[in-house]
Amino acid sequence: MNILAQLIVSGIVVGMIYGVIAFGYQLTFSTSKTLNFGQGEALTLGALVGLSLVWFLTARGLGIGLAYIVMLPLVLMFGLAQGAVVERLGVRQAIKNKSEAGWIMATIALGIIFRNIAENLWGRDALKFPSPLPEIAIVVGPVRIQPMEVVIVLGALAMMLAVEAFNRKSIFGKAVVATASDRDAAGLMGINTGLVITFSYALSSMAAAFAGVLIAPITLAGATMGGVLGLKAFAVAIIGGLSSGLGVVVGGLILGITETFTGYYISTGYKDVPGLVLLLLVLALKPTGLFGKAVIKKV
Amino acid sequence: MKSWASAAALAAVFVWANQACAAESIKIGLTGPFTGGSSSMGVSMRDGAKLAAAEINKAGGVLGRQLELVERDDEAKNEVGVQVTQELINKEGVVANLGYANTGVALASTRFYQEAEIPVIDNVATGSIVTRQFLPPEHKANYVFRNAANDKIQSGMIAEEAIKRQGFKKPAILADATNYGQLGQKDLTAALGTMGVKPVTIEKFNIGDTDMTAQVLRAKEAGADVILTYAIGPELAQIANAMGRQGWKVPLIGSWTLSMASFIDGSGANGEGAMMPQTFIQAGTTPRRKAFIESFQKTYNIDRMASPVSAAQGYDSVYLMAAAIAQAKSTDGRKVRAALENLEAKVEGVVTTYDKPFSATDHEAISANIPVFGVVKGGRVVLAHPEDLEGDKAIRTKTGS
Repeated sequence: MNILAQLIVSGIVVGMIYGVIAFGYQLTFSTSKTLNFGQGEALTLGALVGLSLVWFLTARGLGIGLAYIVMLPLVLMFGLAQGAVVERLGVRQAIKNKSEAGWIMATIALGIIFRNIAENLWGRDALKFPSPLPEIAIVVGPVRIQPMEVVIVLGALAMMLAVEAFNRKSIFGKAVVATASDRDAAGLMGINTGLVITFSYALSSMAAAFAGVLIAPITLAGATMGGVLGLKAFAVAIIGGLSSGLGVVVGGLILGITETFTGYYISTGYKDVPGLVLLLLVLALKPTGLFGKAVIKKV
Repeated sequence: MKSWASAAALAAVFVWANQACAAESIKIGLTGPFTGGSSSMGVSMRDGAKLAAAEINKAGGVLGRQLELVERDDEAKNEVGVQVTQELINKEGVVANLGYANTGVALASTRFYQEAEIPVIDNVATGSIVTRQFLPPEHKANYVFRNAANDKIQSGMIAEEAIKRQGFKKPAILADATNYGQLGQKDLTAALGTMGVKPVTIEKFNIGDTDMTAQVLRAKEAGADVILTYAIGPELAQIANAMGRQGWKVPLIGSWTLSMASFIDGSGANGEGAMMPQTFIQAGTTPRRKAFIESFQKTYNIDRMASPVSAAQGYDSVYLMAAAIAQAKSTDGRKVRAALENLEAKVEGVVTTYDKPFSATDHEAISANIPVFGVVKGGRVVLAHPEDLEGDKAIRTKTGS
């Protein structure tokens, strides 16, 4: 029983990390039917920029906790800018040309460029990201959890709720929803749909950068940290459904918990297999994802 | 008169050019991962080698010629290793090569030196097979040498330390899914087997895995009293951190990569006490070692060497190659290889004093008795058992095999 609880908690933490990155995929897909395959690199850059800011601030005498809080909005802004750059350079032209695959190539290429930049600026060794919270586990009943892991779960949930609320309540958010449901009609209503798409990319990279600074204190920060996570999150987005914000959260939790369960009860060597089997099953039985709404494509 | 003067000038130029030719430097390739995940090893190795070359050149060089190290970054990638190797052989015309921190790169690259009959000393990569690819009699001669502790030696030492010296009975092995981790895990299981011990569990993980809870819990539930590892820095740090989170404190003993800065920095307090075989520890246990460490710190303006083992082995490899070239009185690959296999002079390095380190059949300069155990303490690797390097045991020289 104790082990079971511990595995569920660890699975939730991992799952929330996947979920928040997958949430970024969902954001851009809902407005433009395109994805940023450089999402993992957006996470990497966010973590490394955050690390440099923390170094800079602590060298100026700030405590690590305060430095982390000051760093957060700056990293979020960096994420916004980075996402906008990706959209302008890689996606806009492809959408304009109605190219089916151009944006795939372009976002992958940009991802590689960003990784190389990270390697040149920060080196390719994994770096320690100082933890803003004590690294001693807190004990809740049978479960042991690090304070930073609690922050990951709460932070990820808060960020996703904030973005969802923004999309539902604000006038900008309504423009996003309008663009998502019918781009041409939204354009006719006077909505600058190009800007909306740019903005969705900015938000998507912001989510990734945020995930980066959340997880770096419990993992390590380095140029290659985003690669595997970006792929796992892609699987999560497929499982949960690319059109649903709730779907990616649940998809993340499903994959995270499946992984820790398989690792413990079956074999750590096969940890990744059931997640991929699940992915295939979902693609075969419900291609829009568990929570996806089937969209009838009018040709 | 004028023409006589110009003829004299021309003659002078010729003589000068001839002398310059005679004193042309000896080009030696230096290949390693100077960027990338294993760059702390590659860069330390390079810096150690450069220090040795500078010392030799200051003392007059080899055969009256200066040593010139031609550095190439293999980025820890096999294909890049092959590419720079061909460049070093065909374009730069190196007479020997030193380097490699990655077994895969070493295996892919040394083939070209073997074909070109150019001797290579692998000074960091530990895969057991690296020196055994071109054994006679199938091949005329083997051009690949090594002055690093290979994985057979390391796994044997890890088993010896855990089972015999510290008396643990239920080891769990945690190894990554790469060639390095899986081959090391096999060597380790075999070494434990010779002591009649079977690991209670063998767990696996991928490079880039961020959560080791499942692996650690399985080892804990299997009743492990010690964790043996074969992996690299970042994932090792995740293991130590997952153990710390579970509040489960059993000793961590593993291959020399537990001395990587990414493990020590990434695990912090959780990594304290981790033990690993080391051919060299940043401690001035002999005057020669003391001088090397001080010179290294001064030249590169650092306090903690990122990878002392790589730095020391890189340094020693230059001295070994220089001694062979001096003995061969030539830079001809075949003669240098023959000289390496029968080095007459004792070469005083910082890892050990090399007394006939190689023979025609044995290309490993480091034997099982040379490495000692290091332990992570206060963010550094220090000697685990200070008595290992006391008095006349400070320099451990190669024995039988």
